[in-house]
Amino acid sequence: MTVLSEHILEEIRDLPSKFPQPRSAVMPALDLAQEELGHLTPEAMTEVAHELQLDPGYVEGVATFYTLFHLAPTGKHRFYVCTNLSCMLRGADDVVARLKSEIGVHEPGEVSKDGLFSYEEVECLGACEYAPMCRVDHAYHYDLTPDSIARLVAERRNGGSAVAAPKKARAPRKRKADA
Amino acid sequence: MPELRGTVGGPVVTEWFGTQDLYKLDVYKQKGGYAALRKAMVDMKPVDITNEVKTSGLRGRGGAGFATGTKWGFINRDMPGPKYVVVNADESEPGTSKDRYIIENSPHMVLEGIMIAAYAVGANQAWVYIRGEYDEPYRMLTEAIAEARAAGYLGPKPMGIDFPLDIRLYRGHGAYICGEETALLESLEGKRAQPRSRPPFPAVKGAWGRPTLLNNVETLATVPWIVNHGGSEYAKRGTEKSPGTRLMSVSGNVKKPGVYEVELGQTFRHVIMELGGGPPDGRNVKVFWPGGSSAPVLPESMLDTHTDMEALAAARSMGGSGGVIVMDDSHCIIRAAHRLLKFYAHESCGKCTPCRVGGDWAVRTYERILANEGSQVELDILQRVSDALQNGRCLCGLGDSAGWVIDSTIRHFRSEYEDHALRHECNVGAVTALA
Amino acid sequence: MTIDGQSVTVPPGTLIVEAAKNVGVEIPVFCYHHKLDPVGACRLCLVDIAPGPPRPQTACTTPVAPNMVIKTQSAMAVQARAEILEFELVNHPLDCPVCDKGGECPLQDFTFRHGYPTSRIDGPRLHFKKPIPLSANIALDRERCVLCYRCTRYYDEIAWEQELTTGQRGVQSFITSQFDQPLTSIFSGNIIDLCPVGALTSRVWRFESRPWDMTQTGSVCSKCAVGCSVTLWQRRGQLVRVTSRENDDIDEGWICDRGRFDYTDVNDPKRLRVPVVKGAGSTWNTAIDALAAGIKGKGPKLGISLPQDLTNEEAFLFRRLLDGPLKGAKVKMHGRTALPEPDPNQLLIKEIDDARVIVVVASDTEKDVPVVNLRIKKAVSKRGAQLIVVHPDGVDLDRNPHTVHVRNAAGSAAAEVEKLASHELLKSPGGPVAILFGDGHGSEDAADLAAACAELASKVGGKVMPLYRATNERGALDAGVAGWDKLDGVQALLSWGPPPTAGIPSSVKFLATWDHLQRPDHSRAAVVLPATTFAEQQGSYTNLEGRVQFLRPPIPVAEPLKESWEVLTELAVALGLELGYTGIFAVQRDAAQTLPGLADLAEPPSPTPVPTPVLIGPAHP
Repeated sequence: MTVLSEHILEEIRDLPSKFPQPRSAVMPALDLAQEELGHLTPEAMTEVAHELQLDPGYVEGVATFYTLFHLAPTGKHRFYVCTNLSCMLRGADDVVARLKSEIGVHEPGEVSKDGLFSYEEVECLGACEYAPMCRVDHAYHYDLTPDSIARLVAERRNGGSAVAAPKKARAPRKRKADA
Repeated sequence: MPELRGTVGGPVVTEWFGTQDLYKLDVYKQKGGYAALRKAMVDMKPVDITNEVKTSGLRGRGGAGFATGTKWGFINRDMPGPKYVVVNADESEPGTSKDRYIIENSPHMVLEGIMIAAYAVGANQAWVYIRGEYDEPYRMLTEAIAEARAAGYLGPKPMGIDFPLDIRLYRGHGAYICGEETALLESLEGKRAQPRSRPPFPAVKGAWGRPTLLNNVETLATVPWIVNHGGSEYAKRGTEKSPGTRLMSVSGNVKKPGVYEVELGQTFRHVIMELGGGPPDGRNVKVFWPGGSSAPVLPESMLDTHTDMEALAAARSMGGSGGVIVMDDSHCIIRAAHRLLKFYAHESCGKCTPCRVGGDWAVRTYERILANEGSQVELDILQRVSDALQNGRCLCGLGDSAGWVIDSTIRHFRSEYEDHALRHECNVGAVTALA
Repeated sequence: MTIDGQSVTVPPGTLIVEAAKNVGVEIPVFCYHHKLDPVGACRLCLVDIAPGPPRPQTACTTPVAPNMVIKTQSAMAVQARAEILEFELVNHPLDCPVCDKGGECPLQDFTFRHGYPTSRIDGPRLHFKKPIPLSANIALDRERCVLCYRCTRYYDEIAWEQELTTGQRGVQSFITSQFDQPLTSIFSGNIIDLCPVGALTSRVWRFESRPWDMTQTGSVCSKCAVGCSVTLWQRRGQLVRVTSRENDDIDEGWICDRGRFDYTDVNDPKRLRVPVVKGAGSTWNTAIDALAAGIKGKGPKLGISLPQDLTNEEAFLFRRLLDGPLKGAKVKMHGRTALPEPDPNQLLIKEIDDARVIVVVASDTEKDVPVVNLRIKKAVSKRGAQLIVVHPDGVDLDRNPHTVHVRNAAGSAAAEVEKLASHELLKSPGGPVAILFGDGHGSEDAADLAAACAELASKVGGKVMPLYRATNERGALDAGVAGWDKLDGVQALLSWGPPPTAGIPSSVKFLATWDHLQRPDHSRAAVVLPATTFAEQQGSYTNLEGRVQFLRPPIPVAEPLKESWEVLTELAVALGLELGYTGIFAVQRDAAQTLPGLADLAEPPSPTPVPTPVLIGPAHP
């Protein structure tokens, strides 16, 4: 029994042939695994490695390097709040403080009791003219204030239709189609 | 799309920005899009395209400012086997959002630039390495590529020429270091993104060991205009050594943050006080980063510095990525430097010793100072760490950038450092920068 | 070009760091290793290069150019290196007093020679849990690690494995085994030799002795037919450590974990040291007489099991017994293959480097001939050779995604090899072809396969290498004692070394053993002779390519143990054959004259002088 479902494994098996060399498939494969499981477990990384004919250690090394791969469970809605200089100068610290109290956690990565939320303080997300800003559910939110971040939390807690499920980041897939 | 904050209808890159639905192929074509590609493939020889770019004097807009045409010329077009164009869309330099602005406004302009570059250097395959957090730009590029394929611009015979072209996207996964070109290549090859030692340079041995042209999004987005209007027309703008325009993302303590297309040679006073609207009422500019957080800071007294690369070099800074971060006099320079050092330490790939250890050591030293535990020892450590990060000590530029933050903030704000470290006081507002 | 004022002439492409060794200039390095691709990571080798930009550059990634002027002692270069060393020590625990590397540690020595004389580091250091067992044999101390990545690069580049990896990034980076599982590679131990600090240490040797408290000899490994060069380290009559010793003809400085860690039996307190006859300790004379009485005149009713690490000298003496008093005895050599004698013009290990196509038949080289396996990997990944494997099952060499693997039904390898002549890769290989073949551990007809491989070699322009497995199978073949007889039905059995793989036949009425340890199978032996080990005995092995190499024992043969040539000579006398040898040199001279394959024994080279420790290593232009 695998932790990744068969159709995901099948997609992963198809990946290496899309690149000049098969190792390039590691990150797209980890994306698929993370999308299914929410975060990357050793078992999932081992299965990815197996499908790509690599040692699991290689996959582990790659996964722990990049911040968008999550090795521990996260909230269903993950807030990535920029706290780098441009946002910091415009009040990002207050936004983070309010976010923490709204979702009831003390530190980045901690999952709220209801499992709905977690947050990360991240580096510049490249939308500095809209600072302070954050990324949540694969979309950017701009000109944040403590009140507006509280609204983003409330909308998700109340399960508004617009935000019921995180939007998929990647383009719709066609089986065996070109990337 | 949120309201656009920046130049629309500008001189070069942003000429068509603001047009409704410019991201769609038919609108882009209506404005004159893909004419440059047709001209390049049908009317020009590859070497002519490269020469036109050389004539324009265009320099890379990613940060290093290397002459674009020269870089194209490094690729041996006649070498058998695959060659690649790799587009650096891993925009992560703090204070920089211009590539996102370009892609969201006009993805086809980026694609057109890529195709022209690929044809010029003889690459049939291009890869766009786009940062993983850019969901919307990724979607827009994905759709634009699909449109371009359907229209035959990408495919076996673009413009009827027997030169197959394809563009594929590769998503980053959160690592600033991937903006460094060799780290980007490592990442594209599915590895931990640790920069490579050069030589060999990517033009000889790049992606998957093959000759590779690496260019930034803005650089390539400028190419169709150059092909349409001619290199000499582009060179008429800007200064002699830094011709043309560039997009500057103005952020921080200004009233009108935005991405502005600026003719090189304008002053930062124009960029910050006029385009950016200046600091909030009742505040003064204290300091600004003229080219992303990696560019050494300049104090308010240097607002009249010009934006061309030569003027910035003379001011001991650089044009970098064009991200202008403005900080007003209500903020403490130590805290700002500490925040940026945390960034460089967090983003250090860990490959080379000075950057891996030095960045973290500096952060811990700043923390001692900010906890009022500083002394002359901490100031000495900061200065020495800063020296030991610069001038070839590190494998890539990340370490140098961290060193420049320390070095330039100490250079211009020594008394503020001394207040903090020696007297354990923060006198923000009362401090004037050293010119 | 000149380095610190001395002019140097080296071939184009030589890296500055190597050129400097030619004139005895030390450029300190951590990440650079002459067998690994340069990466320029540690930045310790910064030097001043003219012409060039006004900043220090890495000597490990910069090739020399004509008329280059290199200064290692300019103020800029000296300061740059000192600053790097200071960075290395910012988080280093400085636990040198209890560190096994202390005394042979480049970090200590480089800091001494290139570092700042005073420390400015008084802040808290980063901490990691330590030590971490990477496997039963290797301990990892992450606080001591300078992240030169030699270990992970070796794993990936040389061994083609990634079970050792780097986790996290930046200052939080650390070396780790995959998901903290024990390392399983047979090549794992080389990372200990590679580590320039005390981060990777041997758990087998942990806290055993200080480096300066040992003596060393350059010997040859006794574990398989490859014959890697090793250094044996002795302290107070015990073998305390085995490390690699670079020999570019064979091993290039790598050994496998069998060679490195499988030595503690030498020091076993239960070692047999006194002959035993019918359960009671005896003199050598009594025991040898009892043995002679038990095996004399038995003809084919006598069976003899030979150890795989039988030396050439022992093989020759044994041959004389088989030609004389023991004529007709059945002989079975432990662990040998069914492969026939080699082609005199066979492939040499170092010639694998130049092969354009390598064909490996009926062998998982990782298990059969580990270090040859690494040589194949080098030819493929560093020199671009193509690889064809003929084997029924998946093998280690399949780790390369471009390996062409022909999966044959067991027993049909010869037929598959015949078909290979028309294979795409072999039609115009573009250079020499290397064909290596095993015996499929008995599944293939070895004679047919050898013939098919020889035929293929002549068709495509290549050489063959039979992959013998037993340590001195090749020497035993030369001496004509590499028996392959079934021992069933023998009445008397001399079991030399470990018991026969098939067990001791029930027909045996008289059992004599000659071994260094008591084994359960040997409990009913009438005569037990104590044996020496590779760490004590003199002699030589012929490796699988025909190279004769000499053991250099670090431990003297202490009474009552006797050297094997003496035991065999005395046994011959007891059996009525007067050999008259008075020392092992006499045996070697006689063997060299009698047997062409052992001609190299005529003049054993003088023992390799103990190398003076040079931390920068020998020059590798």
